Amino acid sequence: MPDLQHDLLQRLFGRREYGLCLLILLVGAIVSFVDPHFLARDNLRDILVRSAPTAIVACGVMLVVVTGEIDISVGSLLGLLAAVMGIFVSVSQWNWPMWIGLPLTLMIGTGIGFSTGVLVTFGRVPSIIATLGLLTALRGTTTLIMRGENIDGLPDRLQSMTKYGIVGVPLSLWIATVVILFTAVLVKHTSLGRQLFALGSSNYSAEMIGLPSHKLKLFAFAYVGFLTAVATIVDVPRLPKIEAGIGSGFELLVVTCVVVGGVSISGGRGSLVGVLLAVVLLTMIRPVLTFLDVGESGEKWTKAIQGAFIILAVITDSLVSQRLKRVRAVGRSSTATIAEVK
Amino acid sequence: MTSLVTISGLSKNYAGVHAINDVSMEIATGEVHALCGENGAGKSTLIKCLSGVIVPDSGTIQIDGSTLRFGDVATSELAGIAVIHQESTTFQDLNTVDNIFVGREIKNRFGLLNHKRMREEAQQLISKLGEDINILRPLSELPLANRQMVSMARALSRRCRLLIMDEPTASLSSRETEMLMLTVRRLRNQGVSILYVSHRLGEIFDLADRVTVLRDGCHIGTCAIPEITEPQLIRMMVGRDTQSIQRGRTRDFGPTQLEVIKLNGDAFADISLSVRSGEIVGLAGLVGAGRSELARAIVGLDRCWSGEVRVGGKRLPADSVQASLERGLVLVPEDRQHEGLVLPMTVTENMTMAVLRRLTRRGMVDRNKEGQLVADMAKRLNIKTASMHVSSESLSGGNQQKLVLSKWLATEPSVLILDEPTRGIDVNAKSQVHQLIGDLAAKGLATFIISSELSELMAVCDRILIMRKGRISGEVNAETATQEQILQLALPDSSKLNA
Repeated sequence: MPDLQHDLLQRLFGRREYGLCLLILLVGAIVSFVDPHFLARDNLRDILVRSAPTAIVACGVMLVVVTGEIDISVGSLLGLLAAVMGIFVSVSQWNWPMWIGLPLTLMIGTGIGFSTGVLVTFGRVPSIIATLGLLTALRGTTTLIMRGENIDGLPDRLQSMTKYGIVGVPLSLWIATVVILFTAVLVKHTSLGRQLFALGSSNYSAEMIGLPSHKLKLFAFAYVGFLTAVATIVDVPRLPKIEAGIGSGFELLVVTCVVVGGVSISGGRGSLVGVLLAVVLLTMIRPVLTFLDVGESGEKWTKAIQGAFIILAVITDSLVSQRLKRVRAVGRSSTATIAEVK
Repeated sequence: MTSLVTISGLSKNYAGVHAINDVSMEIATGEVHALCGENGAGKSTLIKCLSGVIVPDSGTIQIDGSTLRFGDVATSELAGIAVIHQESTTFQDLNTVDNIFVGREIKNRFGLLNHKRMREEAQQLISKLGEDINILRPLSELPLANRQMVSMARALSRRCRLLIMDEPTASLSSRETEMLMLTVRRLRNQGVSILYVSHRLGEIFDLADRVTVLRDGCHIGTCAIPEITEPQLIRMMVGRDTQSIQRGRTRDFGPTQLEVIKLNGDAFADISLSVRSGEIVGLAGLVGAGRSELARAIVGLDRCWSGEVRVGGKRLPADSVQASLERGLVLVPEDRQHEGLVLPMTVTENMTMAVLRRLTRRGMVDRNKEGQLVADMAKRLNIKTASMHVSSESLSGGNQQKLVLSKWLATEPSVLILDEPTRGIDVNAKSQVHQLIGDLAAKGLATFIISSELSELMAVCDRILIMRKGRISGEVNAETATQEQILQLALPDSSKLNA
């Protein structure tokens, strides 16, 4: 077997985290060279705050993708949960106390995620189809329950918590940190996390050794639902009002982060660090364009660049897997010779 | 000897076919019990019942006096049953430690994974097996042969009372096989029972105390090893009462149509063969001997390392299915539902798929011409369908197979390669397909048939080649050969017998 350690390129592109780190630093360096204000505390904080909801939901979607499934409904789910939360706690609506309204929002999010999981496991609907359906259906429901009106008047306490936060750090950053730590422990240090990866790696082997594949997938989908509700609660109140179109396109951003972060779309492989770096990188695009002063076409460029990252990620993936195949072929032919020699 | 496992009256049907039928047997404590039978005899089904992957239709299994609850892998594991499956049940994205412990991880007092202890135990297990593997690397970065050893280590990581090994040595080198034999003996001495499935008769006679033979899902017999000889065992496996379907033909062979010269590939080596016009040549061998891979390589679907293929005396360019088709060399694949047909498309569309270019004028399909061709073919092959415009899903298995054949016959081939042409179709359709193959040969088609059914090959073919572990191990005349002769050439390690 050739020693891969020597191959610097292989290492850089084989470990997605290095590549992403390098890109973030490179882009950061170039932009701050053009405009040193880019490195100002407020700007960096702004980038992190913008990253927070994406990071929170990506933690969940990553686990779904790791099991070999996908969830592209989180944008509409976020919209629906924002509406639900608004109706519960807004002073101009039902005006329920937060300690009832917010946990209820979390429960509804988890419930919808769980139902998606039921559809995929027991209903045997391919997850791409199930969540594509939900993407439309949940958005439709949102429009229905909002009756064509925007919701404002969220409690002041909630608004200030999400805007200015605790000791100057917005709530979303605190919560994102907790979610990331929790997910990291889940992935690295629990049998649940280990089994999620195993399931995505080989369905056949998982069945043969009796892993509870339905339960594992149900957990992953429910976790996405829960985290989407968390992201809704900590991020949406920052906005002046809740509109029916809130969160549209969010699902694609999250899936992009997961893919660019190096999670194998066929399951079994991926790292949380990679996904989080991808979240930061993709969130950076907009502020970077602003600082580079691209002008009004900035908005259009954002999407184009996000797309380019997906393609770049897929190309490196296929290069790496071709490389792996070659390594394996070499391994096989060497065993064949052993068998031949006897 | 006391019996550890008692299986009584176990049956399992798949779509009306008995995979196993009223099987009863006992496995004693501390014995190596071999399980033998041809492909499809029901060995794997029996093992899956024991390991909790499937639920049998009837029957019971008792372990140490208590009845086993079916259909739950964890229950079977708790009862002390560990399995090493034929296909490696490893996770290539996980490292060796995780592969060994996934599903029953060792946890610390906080309920989190105890990485240190799992690592130590994995290292111990691996070195006990005489392996030197980097246990922290994903399996995808290790040589393939290591995977079976990781499966082994997983099976041994828990104290088991019954270890089931389903052809464990199929993918191992001889050094690894020896290691495995040592391990099996050591386990037996510790009082573990072993159910050992293998096609290698040599291993069975080396290792086993008793042997049970299954045939067509039925329990044929159980014998103590010293009291049975290899020819007797083979006879039990194939059955004495296999009469051949009548053969009535004398054909004249024309010039050589297909010639394969020293072909080497991933799954086979040094293959040379030839098929003459009007001749039917069979290829026998066990599953995994490399037969289908050879067929795919001949027509250019898979890449081969070296060697050449000639059709009608002219060399084919490598790796080009298109060129094979143009020269009249076609392969009718084994898996008709996936490779042979596009099931949702209609009978007509499937049948003319390979010849559309011939039926097209100025970019439009000539419906008249197409209809004529389809009607001719359906009549010739006796395809039974409500209409030529229903989806091919609605056809029975036998008619689907005839449809696949017609699709390729429409290309007017000169060499036809058939991979398992009658798998899973009923007796009547089978004899029709056999008849058709004979008729085509009489008209000068050179035919090469791969089949796992020896009686089929002996009935249809003129010559039969036998493949073993990727090489041609012999050739017999179909008229004079016996099934025992062919099986001997197909089974590994049976060189002691005289042919």
